[in-house]
Amino acid sequence: MAKKIVKEPVIELLALEKRFGFGDAEHLAIDNLDLRVEKGEFIAIMGPSGCGKTTLLNIIGLLDTPSDGDYRLDSQSVESLSHIKRAHARAKKIGFVFQDFNLIERMNVIENVALPLTYSGVSPTKRLGLASKMLANFHLSEREYYMPWQLSGGQTQRVAIARALVNKPAILLADEPTGNLDSKSSHIIMEELSDLHKRGNTIIMVTHNPDLTTYASRVITMLDGKIDTDTKEDKVIEKNSAPKRPLSIKQRKAIKRKKK
Amino acid sequence: MRILLFEHFRTARESLRRTKVRTYLTVTGVAVGIASITTILALSGGVTDIITRQIKDAGNDIALVRPTAKEPSLIDLGNPNPAAAYTTSPLVERDLDSIQSLKNVDLAAPIMTLSGNVYSKDEHPHNSTIVATTPEFTKTAPIVMKDGQFIDGMTSEDTVVLGEQLAVNLFGTDQAVGKQLTIRGQPFTCIGVIKRQKNPINYNNIDVDNSAIISLDSGKLFNQGVAQIQQINVKATKNTDIQKLKTSIETVISKNHDNERDTSVLVGEEITQPTSKLFLIMTAVLSAIAGISLIVGGIGIMNIMLVSVAERTREIGLRKAVGATSESIVSQFMIEAFITSALGGIIGLVGGYALAFVISMFLPYDPVLSWQAGAVALALSIIVGVLFGLYPALKASRKNPIESLRRSR
Repeated sequence: MAKKIVKEPVIELLALEKRFGFGDAEHLAIDNLDLRVEKGEFIAIMGPSGCGKTTLLNIIGLLDTPSDGDYRLDSQSVESLSHIKRAHARAKKIGFVFQDFNLIERMNVIENVALPLTYSGVSPTKRLGLASKMLANFHLSEREYYMPWQLSGGQTQRVAIARALVNKPAILLADEPTGNLDSKSSHIIMEELSDLHKRGNTIIMVTHNPDLTTYASRVITMLDGKIDTDTKEDKVIEKNSAPKRPLSIKQRKAIKRKKK
Repeated sequence: MRILLFEHFRTARESLRRTKVRTYLTVTGVAVGIASITTILALSGGVTDIITRQIKDAGNDIALVRPTAKEPSLIDLGNPNPAAAYTTSPLVERDLDSIQSLKNVDLAAPIMTLSGNVYSKDEHPHNSTIVATTPEFTKTAPIVMKDGQFIDGMTSEDTVVLGEQLAVNLFGTDQAVGKQLTIRGQPFTCIGVIKRQKNPINYNNIDVDNSAIISLDSGKLFNQGVAQIQQINVKATKNTDIQKLKTSIETVISKNHDNERDTSVLVGEEITQPTSKLFLIMTAVLSAIAGISLIVGGIGIMNIMLVSVAERTREIGLRKAVGATSESIVSQFMIEAFITSALGGIIGLVGGYALAFVISMFLPYDPVLSWQAGAVALALSIIVGVLFGLYPALKASRKNPIESLRRSR
């Protein structure tokens, strides 16, 4: 135990595995992955297509369940949560930002932002008040009653970020938030995220764009469902060094026993 | 939870409003089904109601003695000549005398209907009925004289009292008193005209407006001297237990008929039941057919809901991602189905009742929709909405949020 634990981890993944398919077609999207995310970190996850970035994000966002291993959110294992509790956790602890924004077309901007509050039992008037405040943070006060199709791409994504933050979640998960934006809008969005980070929010972002990693406090590269490099580790694992061996069955069993 | 329900109502209202034409068509589908059921219930309710009111008018001291009809079956529906219509009535004058001699019986009036024709010098009207009865009949049925007098003990055997419509049909005028007519080839003189009643449906099963009423003795002359009575109307004395009277009438007739249970005594509510079970079967069959149209309406709801769920796949995924439980997705779509079907139910109820009034312009009675029947129609519409909305709603709630979000528009 050389390392001192300075902060409480918000997210802790232990020997996480996600399998898709059966038998011969079985495929490991996430392969024995360990990760600790502390409060206030801004993590950028990079990696080639199909390396398991989005799957990892979905598991962290409680939209998907791991096949094996443990996931602790706020020091609580999510495995035992009922689907209702998981939905509540999504409502209160997690904010999502998607590549294609996913605003509901027939609702105006402020209603879209207020939507997550519906599911945490906030009254309608209070909802609109909170949403309005959140939109003001993103300089969108004048667009409150616009419909989503009347906004530019950058504005739409800012609305989506406002929606993700309206519940004051513990973590903000962003899946290629700038994937559909031009470079100018991308940088505006990244400035916003960086701002949020400075204010103490925990952000996990998946991206393909290496330029954007400069905004992050920690960069993780993934390959074949495993963490390839992690800037948090003092030494960056050389790409061409000996491949990291997967844990043996014995080691894995030891981790499971520790969990119990 | 309450906030969420309110929210679902708002969302449902909004999404229904956004697809107006679609919603109207679906609502119409349900409304047609409910309207047809409502029409049938209202019209059959009208028949029952009309007899109920007559009984109320006559007072609660009437008992009817009728030959027991053969139990009709579904086969009779398709049988153009049900046998029961031609059987001879077992009720005879002796039964009338026995009933009259019972304690607590104020009076008893026989109704003997005869087949045959009534005609004047110039006219042969159709649809007339020849009824032979006694003067007591006026006290067991709402008979008001327009002109002249009813038959009584003093009038001779060749006199007749006419219903107003029959008088007009025969002579072209309701001023028929003193005019000559022929009944089954015998000459008769009209001594009175009965005021128009406009209730061909009544517990006496005769349309007085189109009847020629003769004395029981004249009726016997047409029937080899034997009175074959279709119905005996019994009026009890004041403050009589009508149920006890029923039993004593049953006993005395059963004795007269060698213990053969060939007659039934109806009192109170029993009288208001539609006379013919065939009528009830008819109502049931029609309702079942209307029910099929309701199922079609339900399938319409399901169809549209499935389209709606498919269209909103991304929305469902997003709602789940921001914290909606499967239950709240189910209730969101169920409320949409509920609103559609309840709206169809209300429109159908009003429309069906209105349609019943239109149809009743060609019928001798008004439709009556009891609150029970209305509640049944509304409940049916809601049940249809819930039943047919359940599958699409469950389908929506089971969508995988990840796949839903990935789905291109």
